[in-house]
This record gives sequence, structure tokens and C-alpha cells, in this order.
Amino acid sequence: MSTLEIGIWSFPALLALIFLRVPIGLAMFVVGFGGLYMVTGSPNMALARMKTEAYTTFSNYSLSIVPMFLLMGYFATLGGMSQALFRAAEGFLGHRKGGVAMAAIGSCAGFGAICGSSLATAATMSRVALPELRRYGYDGGFSTATLAAGGTLGILIPPSVVLVIYAILTEQNIAKLFVAAFVPGILAALGYMIAVAIYVRVNPGSAGVRPPVAQAERWQRLIAVWPVLLVFLLVVGGIYGGVFTPTEGAAVGALGTGLIAWANGGLTWKTALDSFADTARSSAMIFFIVLGAGFYNGFLALTRVPQELADWVVNLGMAPVLVLVAILALYLVFGCLMDSLSMILLTVPIFFPVISALDFGMSPEHVAIWFGILVLIVVEVGLITPPVGMNLFVINAMDRDTPITRTYRAVLYYVGSDLVRVAILVAFPAITLFLVPG
Amino acid sequence: MEQLHKGVVAIARGVAVIGGIVLSVLILITGLSILGRAANTALNSDLVMGAAPGLAQGLIDLGIGAIPGAFELVEAGMAFCIFAFLPFCQVTAGHASVDVFTDPLPPRAKRALIFATEALFAFVLVLIAVQLSAALERTMRSGQTSFILQFPIWWSYAASFAAACAAAAAGVYMALLRAYEALTGHLIVGRGA
Repeated sequence: MSTLEIGIWSFPALLALIFLRVPIGLAMFVVGFGGLYMVTGSPNMALARMKTEAYTTFSNYSLSIVPMFLLMGYFATLGGMSQALFRAAEGFLGHRKGGVAMAAIGSCAGFGAICGSSLATAATMSRVALPELRRYGYDGGFSTATLAAGGTLGILIPPSVVLVIYAILTEQNIAKLFVAAFVPGILAALGYMIAVAIYVRVNPGSAGVRPPVAQAERWQRLIAVWPVLLVFLLVVGGIYGGVFTPTEGAAVGALGTGLIAWANGGLTWKTALDSFADTARSSAMIFFIVLGAGFYNGFLALTRVPQELADWVVNLGMAPVLVLVAILALYLVFGCLMDSLSMILLTVPIFFPVISALDFGMSPEHVAIWFGILVLIVVEVGLITPPVGMNLFVINAMDRDTPITRTYRAVLYYVGSDLVRVAILVAFPAITLFLVPG
Repeated sequence: MEQLHKGVVAIARGVAVIGGIVLSVLILITGLSILGRAANTALNSDLVMGAAPGLAQGLIDLGIGAIPGAFELVEAGMAFCIFAFLPFCQVTAGHASVDVFTDPLPPRAKRALIFATEALFAFVLVLIAVQLSAALERTMRSGQTSFILQFPIWWSYAASFAAACAAAAAGVYMALLRAYEALTGHLIVGRGA
């Protein structure tokens, strides 16, 4: 077998292992190791790489953002800020038709600004918003679908753990990616609110009404969320303004949410230790996937498969936008099977060279940022796509009275909203890029 | 067996919490460094230098400023943290996997498959620890130090190696536990997930 053939055969081998329930990081590690062995004819090179690769991956300065952002997210869930955010959003939106659901979406977006993970956002906001939705007569499946969808805002609105990984993989500027994600994130929240408005009109009786909150009370509630705004501005503004590195920003964020949690009495010895254990579990999972991906991608680069694939696609002479749409469609399918981070680590090293080789009439950096935001959105759609979307299960499990099929039916409105947004962002790259300098 | 497993999970959690405490210390160091840098900039500003030059210079001479080499500490400490996080992830079956295709399998086949996977994982974790010990030996012999703080690199390797051994032990333990589950059909780890 030629080197290139070994590279090509590694895909089905890898997919077979992953579908056999082998943890994704382990599967990539094993296939990368075996591939290096086959290409070089001895295990020496693979073993030599192992001497340094684990240590250098785990001590990578940029990657140390990940555990810090995770800890920041867990502290944020302890700080009582979810309650304050929901009350503020409800004050302004609650009296509208479907307003409490809109408020749930809005507060998810707010929580996303201090939490970089989708499941954590969905789970935290559900604890606050689900009982309220039920209290005002919102239909069960509609409520759970709303929070599952709202959770995906956690990862889109910076800070975002997945964007950090994408930035490192493609050697892009983390600050610029965060800024680029901002407007699509806001659009996502607005799109979901429109989906709510449509849902309550198509399904009358699915939502109750409640009296409006007095003007003064509204502003009071809004003022109560100042710590969230402060931490967000400090972290994202500080990183963007070059006041500190992204890692320093993540440390500031963890300190900030930790202080908020402590001031609100949410941070005790017990909850701190729980946060450490949760951070440990998620970090170990993420870093092991990063390690496996590093091994696999090192092997893949040696086989020249990514370049050959890129050349092949360019020679097809298809319109670049069609190639992009085809890749995004593939992500939608796979996003239903895998978590977003594994998806990104598995596929970006293969697809990114293809996208980079095509001419979209933009600078390479802009293409990289635009593609990153689009990929981030489509893998998140997978989290709420029936029947396997992970967010759906987690949120549905929090509401025992609602069968999952009702959640499935309601979430289609949000999936539709997602697809419309992806189409708009593909058609108008400027929406993503106009805030990004140079 | 349940008692044993509870004990092992508690130990692994303890190791993870130690990692979490180190992580917190790294976050604090980074935060202090930023504060120091900000204070240093403020002291050096025309306003403060004009108003109280002696005091400002005195404070700067005292060492008010960014912590030199803070990022080296973050890197060295983070390697230990992640290795220390691994055992807990291992014994709580926290690694991401795709299970939609294997869910329809009969329970016996599924348990055998899970055992095979866990054995492979154990092998890889042991290999990582062994290779890391080789790297540790090399850094000890070379006496290489970090660039700014000049602390010997092998300190960080040694700490990481200790945690990597714990991860390897956790991997082997899980493989044995899964073998027990596969042979007896008696599930210890929650829902076989």
C-alpha cells in the first residue's frame, strides 16, 4: 500500500472504531499510531512522538484556556446569575405572546456570555426557567425544546471552548474569532425568539399570558445583572483589546465568576470541590481528544491526504460556495452523532485545507474565521436535531412529565431557525466579518 | 465490588481535586500578574510619576509589576493538572463516545465490546506513562531549566509522571472491572455507560 492509500484507508478504520463505541480520542490515537507504524515500517517514530506529545499537549499555554473557561462556567452556575438573568429578560419580554419562552432564550444568551459550554448553559437555565414556563401554562415539549435550543447559544456567544480549539487547530487569532461570533450569536437569539413567536401562533393554547411588569421594576431587574456584563466585558473586551492574552482573560473570567458566586453565597467548600471534579472530568475528556487528534493529524499530514483532497476538490472546478454547502451538510449529519468538539477535531484538519484552497474572494484569514463560525453553528444544530441531539435528552430528563417525542416536535421550529440563519450567513459573509479588523 | 469501586472513585476524585486546586493557584498567579502589570503601568504613568515620583519609584523597586515567567508556571502546572484529571474521567467513564450504533447489540456482546475498549485504553495509558518516564529521565540528565524562572524542567515532568501513573493505574483498574462485568453480567459502573 502506498502512503497515500494508507492515509485514505485510515478514515473508514477510524469511523469503524468510533461507531464501535471506542472513545473518540482513543480511536484517533490508535489509528494515528497504527498509521505511523505502517507508513514508517516501525513503531519507533510513533513511540518517540509519544515521549513528548502528551506532555507538550497538556502544557500548551493556549490550551490552558480550556480548563479555565470550564471552571468559569461551573462557577457561573453557582453564582445565582441565572436567576437574575431570567428575571431581567422576563421583565421586558414576559407579557408578550410566548414571552416567557422568549425570556428563556434571552437569558440563555446572557448566560452564554459567561459560560463557554452548551450543555452547562442549557442545564443551568433549565433549573430556573422550566418551572416558570410551566407555571405560566407553557406546553411541556415547547418548554424543553426552547431550553435545549437556548443552550446552544452558550457555545456561540463568546467565550466559547469550541472556538478556542478551532483557533488553535487552524492557527487563527482567538480574539478575532470571538468578535466574529458575536453578531451571529445575537442573530441566533433573535431567530429563536422569532421561532417562539411563530410557534405560539401556529399552536394556540401552547402558552399562557402574564401581566406586564412595571417599568421601574424592569430596570431594577436589568441593573441586577451588572456582574454578568462586567465579567463579559472584562474577559472578551480585555482579550480583544489586547490588554491580556486569551489565557489571562480566561483566568480573569474564572476569578470574576468565582467572586460573584462567593459574594452570593453559592461558592462553599463543597461546591468548590464539586466544580473542580466537574472541571477535571470535562477537561480530561477534551484534552485526551486533543491528544488523539494531534497524533492522528500528524500521521495524516505525513500521508499528504489533506493536500491531495484539496487539490482534487479544486480540480473538480465546482463553485466554491457549493463545496462549502456540501461540507456544511455533512457536518449537519455527523453533528447528530458526535459532540461538537470531537467533530471539530476530527474534521477541521481535513476540510480546512480544502476550504483554504478555494477562492471565495476574501483574505485567507477572513475565510478561516467565516468557516469557523459556520462550522460552529452547524455542529451545534446537531445537538438539537431529533432523534439523537444531546441537549434534547439532557433537558428532557429534567422534566419527567414530558415525553421526548413532544420535545422533538417543538424543537423543529428552532432547527428551522438555525438553517435559515446558516443560509443567511453563507450568503452574506459580511455579517460575520464586518466587526473583524483587517 | 460496589464498595471497592466507590473507594476507587473517591481516590480518583481526590487526585482530580488536587489538580483543581493547582489549577486555581495558576489562575490566581495569572490574576495577580495582570494586577501587578496594571499597577506598574499606572505607577509609570505621567500622572503618578508627576504627583509622587519617590513613592511610585519605590513601589516599582519593591517589585510591583507583572510576575515574571507567570506563563511558565501555568504551562508547567497545567501539564500536572491534566494528567491528574485523567484518572477521575477514566473511572467515571467520562470519555466522549458514539453509542447509537452499539445500543441495539445484545447485552453480552456490548459488555464484551466495552471490555475490549477499556483494555485498549489501559494499554495506551500505560504506554503514555512509560514513554513519559523516558522523557523524564532525559530532562533530569540534561538539567534543562525554564527560560525565565530557571527552574528545572524535570520538576514538572516528575509531577506529571506521578499523575500519569495514577491515570495508567485507573485505566488498568477499569479494564479489570469491565472484565468482571463482562464475565458475571453484574454491572458496577452506572448503566454500563
